Amino acid sequence: MESTLVRIHNLAKTFGEGETRVEAVRGLDLDLARGEIVLVMGPSGSGKTTFLSMLGGLLRVSAGEIWVNGTDIAALGERELPPFRASTMGFIFQDFNLIAALSARENVEVALNIGGQSGGTARERARGLLESLGTGDRLDFPIEKLSGGEKQRVAIARAVANRPMLILADEPTANLDSHHGAETMRLLRTLAKEEGVTVVIVSHDQRLREIADRVLWLEDGQFKALQALARDPVCGMLIDPAQAPAELESDGETLYFCSSGCRRQYEEERLVAASQ
Amino acid sequence: MSVPLARRQLLFRKGRAVAGVAGIAAALLLVLALKAIFAGINDRLTAYIDKSGADVIVAQRGVDTMHMTQSALPEQTATAVAAVPGVAEARPILYAPAMIERGEARGIAYLVGDDSGGAPLPMATGRRARAGEIVLERTLAERLDARAGSGVRVFGRTFRVSGEVDGLASILNSVAFVRRQDLARVLESVGVVSYVLVRARPEIGGAELAARIEASVPGVTASTRAAFASSERRVVGDMTTDIVRAMILVGFVIGVAVAGLVAYSATLSQIRDYAVLRAVGLRVRGALALAVAQVGATVAAGFLLALALVWALAAILPRLTPTLVLAIRTADVALALVVAGAVALAAAAFPVLRVARIDPASVFRR
Repeated sequence: MESTLVRIHNLAKTFGEGETRVEAVRGLDLDLARGEIVLVMGPSGSGKTTFLSMLGGLLRVSAGEIWVNGTDIAALGERELPPFRASTMGFIFQDFNLIAALSARENVEVALNIGGQSGGTARERARGLLESLGTGDRLDFPIEKLSGGEKQRVAIARAVANRPMLILADEPTANLDSHHGAETMRLLRTLAKEEGVTVVIVSHDQRLREIADRVLWLEDGQFKALQALARDPVCGMLIDPAQAPAELESDGETLYFCSSGCRRQYEEERLVAASQ
Repeated sequence: MSVPLARRQLLFRKGRAVAGVAGIAAALLLVLALKAIFAGINDRLTAYIDKSGADVIVAQRGVDTMHMTQSALPEQTATAVAAVPGVAEARPILYAPAMIERGEARGIAYLVGDDSGGAPLPMATGRRARAGEIVLERTLAERLDARAGSGVRVFGRTFRVSGEVDGLASILNSVAFVRRQDLARVLESVGVVSYVLVRARPEIGGAELAARIEASVPGVTASTRAAFASSERRVVGDMTTDIVRAMILVGFVIGVAVAGLVAYSATLSQIRDYAVLRAVGLRVRGALALAVAQVGATVAAGFLLALALVWALAAILPRLTPTLVLAIRTADVALALVVAGAVALAAAAFPVLRVARIDPASVFRR
């Protein structure tokens, strides 16, 4: 089996025409290995969601190719995409996006039904998944009765129900407290390393760097090398040195800050340290 | 799909589902009840003809109804008809619409004057009319508070009530019986009859006898009982068709408005669910089926509720208002079903159009 699951070549997406034309994503090239966890970060409006939507076959590309397990999904027709998504991909959303009218088990079961499994087989698989994720005692609970962490576990169970090769997660920890956020990270890590599922996460959450094999920085619709980015020594934010609002020469090294406030704080802390 | 998704989504907002079903039921009930009321009127309209025992009704040439028409035949016509081979009995009757009054109370009735005073219809109470007497239909007798022995005024003359018959009145009219000679006297039409009610011998059919009478007796139209009753129903049908059509249209418009509104609000509240299902891999066709199933189930439930309600009305209303009889006919139920189907199709248009345009990528929007 080829170790590369996803190959993206010269991917571009343009919205609008003429004066309203916006290049949301341009010239993206990327390979993702099986079992790899890739975290895509970047400022708001950088094209992260557009990238994730195209990778998930939910948004048509303007140019380029997206090969997933040997299939160019950019070339698939509207009739072929849904079953491809059902069998190959799983989605995890910031707002969980569970169907409120269904119970926890039914939310997972409905994904299995769409993927082609039905009846007792689907029911048992849904139950097994939820039990393995620690929500076995919430099988028939309505969604509104579940905590945020439980909802995310149901969402993860739904995402993996059809044994996908690729999981696309949009801000999976954003609505969770630190405990449940860490638990979600652990589950994603387990999926990648034990099941060989490739996980692409789009997030602002720095905590997710802990589980990522690679962190990509998407800005102005293009991936930028992280080594070319500098980290604010005060708040830890990644910044493009060319556009850094503040910088400081220190011991022959240039430090870059996200704001003049961070630079001022840094200088004050240095003064305090020097006086001691 | 083994998860009953459409049902779950439909019942998730129970208030909305109940309101939708009730609204559609009300609209369809309008159609069903109106048709049943007119069918009930039709049944009562021909009750006298149906129960008269006549196989053939002979009228003035060109006349084949009692309502909205007048028939006048020479009294000798009955004798001529009786002489036609195959006729077992020929009973002449006089027939006229009349206002029957008792004090301040009054009611319209079709007054039948025959030589038997109401035979062969069974008497509910009392006895058949003799000279100077009248038999009233029970509901009119109750309305006039005219029990046996009471006096009522007809065409300015007083008749004594001798008894009551049952099951001949509708909300439009009633029927009363007097002796033919009495009616001829008050109408000043001695020597004239309106119709001749003919009973056929067992060996001859009604249609054959009617043709034989028309061939043998000049100036008459002879109709079988079924054909005569059918003409009666057609006359009233022609008078009420526009009303019925208008009410069916009203029912349809209300049904579409209610079902469309329910489908509109339901679809809007489920847009996110549809987008998620599409993202997870549900085909457009599947999403459309989900939307249509909810509209279809709402309309189907509304139809069943309307049917149950009209059955209940048919059972209850005659007890409260004996002249208001609802007759539920298969053809009318089928018509309501067609209206329900049209309502479902029209109401499903919005969700279908909206769901078809759902962008699955919208699941990532917050």
